[in-house]
Amino acid sequence: MTRRALGNVGVAGYVLLLYGFIYLPVMTLVLFSFQEGRFPIPPFNGPSLRWYEAVFADGKLTAALTNSLVVALLSSALACLLGFLAAYGFARYRLPGAGPLKVMITAPLTVSYLIIGFGLLVTFNMAGISRSLWAVGIGHVVINTPLCFAIITVSLGEHQRNIERAARDLGASDWQVMWRVTAPMLLPSIVAAYFLSVTFSWDEFIIAFLLSRFDVTLPVEIWSLLRSGLNPKTNAVGSVVFLASVAVVLILEFVVFRRYSSRRAA
Amino acid sequence: MKKITLTTLFTIPLVICAGGAIAQEELNALVWCDHTDPGFVEPFEQANNVKVNLKDYEGTGTALSLIEQSQPGDWDVFVVDGIDVPRVVEAGLLAPLPEDALPTADLFPEIVMPENHVIDGKTYAITEKFGYNTISYNSNTVDAADVADISVMWNEKYKDRIAIYDYYLPVMGLVAMSLGIDTADIQESDLPAMRDRLFEMKDVSRQVGEVVSSQTAIATGEVDILVGGGEWVTAGLTSELPHLDWVIPEQGAVRWSQSVGVFADSKKPDLALKFVQYILSPEGQARLATSSCYWAMPANSKAADHLTDQQKKALRWDDQAAYLANAQLYPAPDAELDAKMQDVWTEFLQH
Amino acid sequence: MGPASRNATGDSRGWVFVGPAVLWTLAFFVVPFVVMVGYSLWQREGTELVRAWSLANYAGFFDKPHFVEGLVNSLEITALVTVISIVLAYPLAWIIAERVPRRWQRLALLLAILPFWTSYVVRSYAWLLVLSRGGYLNQWLMGAGLIESPLEIAATRIATVTGFVHFFVMLLTLTIYANLVQLSPNYRRAAADLGAGPLRTFWQVILPLTLPGIMVGAFLTFVLCIGDYITPQILGGNNELVLPQIIMLQITRRADFPTAAALSIVLMVVVTLAYIAAARWLRMERV
Repeated sequence: MTRRALGNVGVAGYVLLLYGFIYLPVMTLVLFSFQEGRFPIPPFNGPSLRWYEAVFADGKLTAALTNSLVVALLSSALACLLGFLAAYGFARYRLPGAGPLKVMITAPLTVSYLIIGFGLLVTFNMAGISRSLWAVGIGHVVINTPLCFAIITVSLGEHQRNIERAARDLGASDWQVMWRVTAPMLLPSIVAAYFLSVTFSWDEFIIAFLLSRFDVTLPVEIWSLLRSGLNPKTNAVGSVVFLASVAVVLILEFVVFRRYSSRRAA
Repeated sequence: MKKITLTTLFTIPLVICAGGAIAQEELNALVWCDHTDPGFVEPFEQANNVKVNLKDYEGTGTALSLIEQSQPGDWDVFVVDGIDVPRVVEAGLLAPLPEDALPTADLFPEIVMPENHVIDGKTYAITEKFGYNTISYNSNTVDAADVADISVMWNEKYKDRIAIYDYYLPVMGLVAMSLGIDTADIQESDLPAMRDRLFEMKDVSRQVGEVVSSQTAIATGEVDILVGGGEWVTAGLTSELPHLDWVIPEQGAVRWSQSVGVFADSKKPDLALKFVQYILSPEGQARLATSSCYWAMPANSKAADHLTDQQKKALRWDDQAAYLANAQLYPAPDAELDAKMQDVWTEFLQH
Repeated sequence: MGPASRNATGDSRGWVFVGPAVLWTLAFFVVPFVVMVGYSLWQREGTELVRAWSLANYAGFFDKPHFVEGLVNSLEITALVTVISIVLAYPLAWIIAERVPRRWQRLALLLAILPFWTSYVVRSYAWLLVLSRGGYLNQWLMGAGLIESPLEIAATRIATVTGFVHFFVMLLTLTIYANLVQLSPNYRRAAADLGAGPLRTFWQVILPLTLPGIMVGAFLTFVLCIGDYITPQILGGNNELVLPQIIMLQITRRADFPTAAALSIVLMVVVTLAYIAAARWLRMERV
């Protein structure tokens, strides 16, 4: 065999091994979600849809799913709005103390979620505010605003400035320029920031655990499922979440983002 | 087109959020996880057209921490370890219950525990469920003679085949009994010896986990022995895994009991009392005893009429008198000793 | 970003845009942080919160070997995870960027990170199923004759590290790939024109150029890994505790907020030191 062929075999082997590693837990999870019995150990004795039926019949799980969706969509929308406005403001206006303020806005990125959640917990406690989904949402805006701010800041460049100036010369007001000219130009990165935020919020556990009470998000409900009795519903709900998220990701990839990249290429 | 996209991005969530939220009377209860089984709560919810919000916890410390993190009036009903009722009452958390509204006479006499529930002549809580923290084991792989002695907790023969339940009070109670100390008499001066014993146990154990990871470990064969286990781990599984058994060793075991009461600052004391009455009713008791999270003996002897023979067998209904005789209550340390015991427990986890 | 806009219409207008984010961060990040620092200087005695300022909680941290050990465990696990993840992810990112045909690259990358969208809590739990004594991994390895008795890796540090590495390999593949595709092919051509072989080109040109990207990824890994509670809690079997687990014990079991606050600040200081080290190493400017 030539060295090149040997190299190719090595590359293929490595890729297979790593993809195998990446998919090992997911495949195990999906497999056991179809297990007939209660115990997630071999031998496999399915397939059975028993635990999927149990998941959809479980009002707490479906409520948690809705809560997660609402919190993720709402908090991400607010985080994107705050991040976009701040990015635009810093890029287009000379502000005293802009440097330290930018550091402050991005600082939450370097702090563990546990600490952010705990800080909010003690603060809300002192202020006499009860734990709730609203509190969770506030926490998620805190972690996602810097993310949106950073992503949008990076894509705010000089070339938009010229178009903005042209719009202004044609008589557009500041708000009109921002909302009708800059924002649409930045839409791809706003959308990217939004979906990244949604992903983070959707999957976030510790802040939601510390700040929620009866209405909980899906990760918290799954956690209590894990803690309250051997329950194969965990496998089924995990698989449902995975397959649904994959569907959304693929749709976004092939419908939304592909359209943008092809338009940009054209 | 683009403008529409941007606007919808921000408004769709608002529309989704606007739905839902129908007004209905709600009751907030702080409970152990067995109360969260829909099969247990739903009959009460339907009968009274009320929504019961349940928050489950493990360990009184966790519950007190949750209460501390709440606002007055947030909670209505409290399920708490019987042994901790006096300190909860002392903290002013519970309201007295009208005695004539409770079926105290139907309870197994050994577990009424008036010394814990009646303070200054007023009843603040009532026992609802009880069981044991002892040794669960796999009868296929473990010698019955070995588990009959408490030394199995640190028996080298079962190295890496033992799981320990991650709750310091019952396990440290077992540790005290293995040292010949009564759970009620644990002193600060006993802690060094208990720590050494815990370290010995850690050396042969495979994992220290909560209810489910313990249950999973013994059910899947990851381990063969569960220290701190009991009927609450195995009773619900026996129909599928008949080889899982539990035993009270010669030296005895720890008895746990849960009590239920109504919060002093509850805004719905009448509804809360109704829920307490439902929990103590024979039907409620039978459902609670066989709840999905864990099974254990109901406090009300009349629950027998609502349990099948098979269920009673799994609960070992007929053996209770002998078990009760050889079991001691959870340790009930004061705040200072409690903090020290938790420190020892953290050291044990870290060992 | 360049100097402020030439057509800026005044400073006060800018605050309207920047204000909301600044106020939000102040109210829900800076203020909670200050409250937490305050709490860390108070004490909890029994069930009482004693509002007397002292450094007792910090002294307590260094007095209690099981606390310090928690920090040591955290640092060891995080370092291990960061190194292993980079070593595994870099070749994968490189193969996707260099060996996979351009039109398939996005798909290959997407496939590599899809399991990212399994719920985080479930992902750790799924590893428990994979690694368990009677699980498929052990069955396969024994079936293939690679081992004789089942590997006892569930509920150990190895399990925790495996769970972490799984997550961060996906994350780092993404960041390193993004870095690699930004490199102009001209570098490689230039190196080849100057007589460098592929290996030398890689060591002396590609790797140094992608180092900043690796460092950013490594820092991200560090922050997320050292602050995580779920993965060690589910996979570690409580056989050793990391700092976040100890913090959670203080919050959930004994409502000892002062100690939890002090431990949180210790954790933050460690992360900040790592950040300063990384930033100095890269000599990079703040965003």
